Amino acid sequence: MPIVEKSLVEVDRTEKLEIDGIDVSGEWNTFLRSRVQAHLDVRISDWVKGQPQGETITRCWQCGTCTAGCCMHTDYGLTEFNPRYFIYLAQVGYEEELRKYATTVWRCVSCNKCVERCPKGVKVEEVIHTIGTYLEMTGAAPESPADRFDRAYASNLLERGILDEAALFRTYERLEGRKTPARDLLRMGLALLRSGRLHTGPLAHRTRGWKKMGRVLRENLEADERARRALAVSAAPPNGGRP
Amino acid sequence: MSASAPRGPPDASPAYYPGCSLDGLGKAYEVTAQRVIERLGLSLDRIVDYNCCGATEVKNLSQDVSIALPARNLALARSMGRQQVVAACNGCVYSLARANDAVTDPATRGRINATLEKGGAPAYDGAASVQHVLEYIHARAGPERVRAAVTRPLTGLTVAPYYGCLYTRPKRYTGVGKTPGTDDPEHPHFLDELLEACGAKVLTDYSAKTICCGGGHALSDLDVSVAFGASILNEAKRAGADLVATICPLGQINIENHLDRIRASYGDEVIRPVAYFTQLMSLAFGSSVREARLHDNFSRPDLFFRARGFP
Repeated sequence: MPIVEKSLVEVDRTEKLEIDGIDVSGEWNTFLRSRVQAHLDVRISDWVKGQPQGETITRCWQCGTCTAGCCMHTDYGLTEFNPRYFIYLAQVGYEEELRKYATTVWRCVSCNKCVERCPKGVKVEEVIHTIGTYLEMTGAAPESPADRFDRAYASNLLERGILDEAALFRTYERLEGRKTPARDLLRMGLALLRSGRLHTGPLAHRTRGWKKMGRVLRENLEADERARRALAVSAAPPNGGRP
Repeated sequence: MSASAPRGPPDASPAYYPGCSLDGLGKAYEVTAQRVIERLGLSLDRIVDYNCCGATEVKNLSQDVSIALPARNLALARSMGRQQVVAACNGCVYSLARANDAVTDPATRGRINATLEKGGAPAYDGAASVQHVLEYIHARAGPERVRAAVTRPLTGLTVAPYYGCLYTRPKRYTGVGKTPGTDDPEHPHFLDELLEACGAKVLTDYSAKTICCGGGHALSDLDVSVAFGASILNEAKRAGADLVATICPLGQINIENHLDRIRASYGDEVIRPVAYFTQLMSLAFGSSVREARLHDNFSRPDLFFRARGFP
């Protein structure tokens, strides 16, 4: 059957048309209009690429292996958690769309199945965290519970070189405004004390000679955070990436 | 790729990196791992002034600090004259291996060593390999020697082997497939073989073997970490396991810490005792329930084993 010439059809109208005895009536010329996405901004992808944790983003060829195996997407069933898509949005700089996931991106639990499986060597988990950091640092996402935990964790460990698990728990509960009932805390504390596992406060383990190392690393950490934030803010498109 | 392959003959006594957990909440793991290693005629040398590896948290804040923290420990192992480092926590193995991968880049290594020097630590030459204690026991002793050391087989016990994430993944960090004595990241089997050698029935097709425990967000995303903890137990129940064996303090603690929540949301019938594999091996090697510190675990495997006549 011949291909119908456009000239046979009147534009933008429902046509009754029969060709070689076959009815090809229908809406013609109502195909999708070609679209141009303006307001894409590659500065976000440049920023992610510029971070050591994010540099492998350029290798992604969008196969979706990461999302297929992602425990947040598949096991937990949070289908909007789609690392392949987050990477795509960052790659093309579709910031406005990415911002819709501002309170989702942080929920990656770092199981690294995606990094294990990626056929292109993208460190997906680290890239996703970098995208999350970008959203947070540019003010598009609030500081997430996980960000708060990361910061509390780092500051706890840099204090003595070894983590004070109980103190971290208390600090974090305070940050989140949560309160485990005193009775439960006491029960847990006693159980740990009895089994010789309550190393907190003055009983906390410490790394000998840590003071200097702790100071150096703390300075590095703060400088890094400042530099990343400044760069992220300068990379963010004006007006929140809106067209 | 990771600088994981040892360059010379294996260390007679590799450096042992305990990490915060084994000196804290995971003490039962530490004590029983040492006992198992001794009984198998192996030995490890503790890195004395170790520091926390930074786990999966610090890397989200600063790349260099997340490399410097584990690199300091690897450097200490090197100054002990060792080329092998054994760690018992999946998170520690991951961080140490990740640092190894990062310092293969000369510029990064230079920067990290400058930081270490400033902080008063030795420089790191990038030549230490990293192994999980499970891989170490499997590679150095193996199921045969474990079988020979068993005095009280775990006959009649059905165990779900839970490896969790980060045990051997990602391979680009852990060097799996390139390094002898490493397990398979998709289908790990070392734990299956060691527990079988102890006389237990091991559920090799346990579907939650390598799922995430949610421990990374144990406090910051309760819904998720409770759900993952519950599926580890629920899959064990479906497969007919009496007990779940773990190889990582984060997995162990995350499941046990959420027991009340799991019970409330998923019912009492999914609850099972959870124990470190070295606690189970200790029992098989003749330790008492108390010596295996099974009373440390909140899921109370001590009651379980006492009810089955273990002394």
